[in-house]
Amino acid sequence: MHHAYLDKYANQNSFFHRLDSRVKFLAALIYTILILSIPPRSAAVVFCYVVAPFGMLVWAGIPIGFVARRILAVSPFVLVLALSCPFFDQTPYLLRLGDITFQLSGGWMRCFTILAKFAATMLTLFALTCTTRFTDMLAGLQQMQCPSILIVQLSFVYRYLFVLVDRVHHILRARAARKLRYLGLRQEIRIAAIMIAALFIQSLESAERIYRAMQGRGFTGSFHALKPIRINRRDIYFIFVFIGICIFLHSIMRIWLNELNGV
Amino acid sequence: MNQAIEISNYSYVYPDGTMALDSINLTIQHGERVSLIGPNGAGKSTLLLAMAGFIRGKGTVLIDGMELCSRTLKQIRAKLGCCLENPDDQLFMPTLFEDVIFGPLNMNLPPQQVKDNVDRAFETVGLTALAEKAPHHLSAGQKRAAAIATVLSMAPQIITFDEPDGSLDPRNRKRLEEVLGRLPQTLIIATCNMRFAAAVSSRVIVVDHGRIVADGPAKSILYDKDLMEAHGLEIP
Amino acid sequence: MHMANELISFPVAGVSIGIAGGVLGWICKSIRQDIVSEKAAVMGVLGAFVFAAQMVNFQLPLMPGTSGHLIGAVFLAVILGPHLAAVVLSSVVIIQCLLFQDGGLLAIGCNLLNIAIIPSYIGYYVYRLAAGNMQNKSRYLAGAIVACVIAALAGSAMVVLQTTISGVLLIPPVLFLATMAGVHLLVGIMEGMITVAILGYLASVRPDLIAGLTASRAVLSRNGALISLAVMTLITAAGFSLLASDKPDGLEWSYLERPEQPDFKPVVANSDQRMDAADKLHSKIAVMPDYSLGNTSELHSASAGWTSVAGIVGSAVCMGLIWLTAKLIRPRRA
Repeated sequence: MHHAYLDKYANQNSFFHRLDSRVKFLAALIYTILILSIPPRSAAVVFCYVVAPFGMLVWAGIPIGFVARRILAVSPFVLVLALSCPFFDQTPYLLRLGDITFQLSGGWMRCFTILAKFAATMLTLFALTCTTRFTDMLAGLQQMQCPSILIVQLSFVYRYLFVLVDRVHHILRARAARKLRYLGLRQEIRIAAIMIAALFIQSLESAERIYRAMQGRGFTGSFHALKPIRINRRDIYFIFVFIGICIFLHSIMRIWLNELNGV
Repeated sequence: MNQAIEISNYSYVYPDGTMALDSINLTIQHGERVSLIGPNGAGKSTLLLAMAGFIRGKGTVLIDGMELCSRTLKQIRAKLGCCLENPDDQLFMPTLFEDVIFGPLNMNLPPQQVKDNVDRAFETVGLTALAEKAPHHLSAGQKRAAAIATVLSMAPQIITFDEPDGSLDPRNRKRLEEVLGRLPQTLIIATCNMRFAAAVSSRVIVVDHGRIVADGPAKSILYDKDLMEAHGLEIP
Repeated sequence: MHMANELISFPVAGVSIGIAGGVLGWICKSIRQDIVSEKAAVMGVLGAFVFAAQMVNFQLPLMPGTSGHLIGAVFLAVILGPHLAAVVLSSVVIIQCLLFQDGGLLAIGCNLLNIAIIPSYIGYYVYRLAAGNMQNKSRYLAGAIVACVIAALAGSAMVVLQTTISGVLLIPPVLFLATMAGVHLLVGIMEGMITVAILGYLASVRPDLIAGLTASRAVLSRNGALISLAVMTLITAAGFSLLASDKPDGLEWSYLERPEQPDFKPVVANSDQRMDAADKLHSKIAVMPDYSLGNTSELHSASAGWTSVAGIVGSAVCMGLIWLTAKLIRPRRA
């Protein structure tokens, strides 16, 4: 995956893209908390929570294939840990559908729940990040009282991420074109270290030039606030629908769980 | 009437001992369009940095009659805008708009004037539609134009450009020539491209080994075959 | 190792966000003076540099097709000092979350602590203690390796600590710790080797860079370093002694009988005060209290089973419909 295109979907334009970043951020946070509060052996319940972020992504025009590939790419750690559960809880449970009964150990149920929750919270995170330009996110974070040093730092990293990643692609290509076999660990590390050191020197030199450009335009040590953002009608609609969905899902879940418990 | 730039007897030695600029004497009038040409490593960029006060050597530099020193640096930077060689260095904010507004905000101008300056800068380089874009979504030509807008928005009297035609295709170079042609400011342009120099400037200064070796009207200098070839250059 | 939302409980998430936020806020306040100079640009570009450097991979021996890469925490801490490195790495973690979707929103506190803050401070102080006054080259290179190993181990220990306190996973903490420590020992050694190679190369081609950046921080109070190390060791040790005394996954097993072992006496439920407290806290904080599933003697009623299936199928149908409407409404893009 080419990093330079990572945020291309965030720069599209749709109803969801135009929402206030703070509203989306808080909504994603609340929704994540809701998903995580589902008890540890109820994978089926989590599925209902997938619908809303899925809908937001689809209606915002984000290809689901892209999202799925990205989720797979970041999943190994969770996958391994979730798969450890069946080894440590082998209490069998019986599930019955009419005449058919399944036997499943508690560990597997736990494992499925963790994975389902992972998929659901990841979709939520994608629904936030794929519909919000990073700069809007920063403006939102700044209005939510994030320290300004951190905001400036984040905007610099975001800006130069793409420049340096391009540069590193060129360096890697140059190495791939000439390194045709495995050279032994020592030599491999030495080559990588020299490439990284060269990159480091270039980074410091460009930081020097950037600082020159900042001074040239009157930088005196303080960054001026980004333009203020305001909640508008669109955001209000979104908030109401969001609260509605949360209440709906939550009450459905309660009824469902009570039924499962045989109350 | 003050001269735009007056440099007298200016020398600069790199920390490693190399003589970068060697007793430069140079006067540029307001409204002039000057090209600095010369081979790689001749000292063109260093001379531009000296004008903007990024390096300090021996000798005096007057910008619009004001002597360049740490006390006047802020005022001088408002008079003289400099456009660096690599647009990626020049564009350091996450969106074009924030980048173009960065300078005017630092100048403590009233908000309406900031807005006017920014709008005019975008209009001059023809990037109004792309203001909300991130720099990494732009092409090389657009980045170059954006870098110029960041300087224009500060409405300086003098603008220096370091190789503004670098890595541009002929069409983008043509556009850049038109943009530069529209600017009313005093322009000082360092370049290695003789055709570009002929298109954008009326006066040409040849720099080699840190010295000014020729200075005169563009037509007579650029077509002086012996002079050009003696300094590793070519006629357009 | 990016922590995911699902592996930690709300109290752990909340406390770690609180600690990470507090530490970060404190650092930001204390480096305010530093940042006025060109450090603002240097820090920003170095944050981006971390991403780029992590893309430079090198082939590992023995396992074909695998490759390692620099993580960069100790390298930055050595070059920039712990405060600036912590801010740079924190910005990297936040961007990994918000741009690369790596690590969950709620787990960001844990990730900031495990990946950014703890490795930069531990790495820096261990390096300082081991490297001495930078006079002896082989000593400061060895110091870098030791610092990388300890920083990697500390980060992995934090992962174990956080997941175990959370009680989401059932894996016994000691086994988990051993596995993570084993993996991270290797990671740390690799990281140490490449960090040393970079520092060594920089020292030979651009000694000015290393000297210029570290000179201002070369005077560090040895007492300060020792005290912070001691505090960190104490916290970690206390955490682990707590864990080690616990029955593995006591939280869940204590409720259940095991049908395959008729003689098995259920661990006396909530014999442990701490577990009891954690449990109560969980039921208070959880939006939905944990429902207890019976064991095999108490089968799910058929309707409940069907509800689950209906829920899954219904959700799938909903998503299908959403996808279809979107396809129909949206004009095809070229």
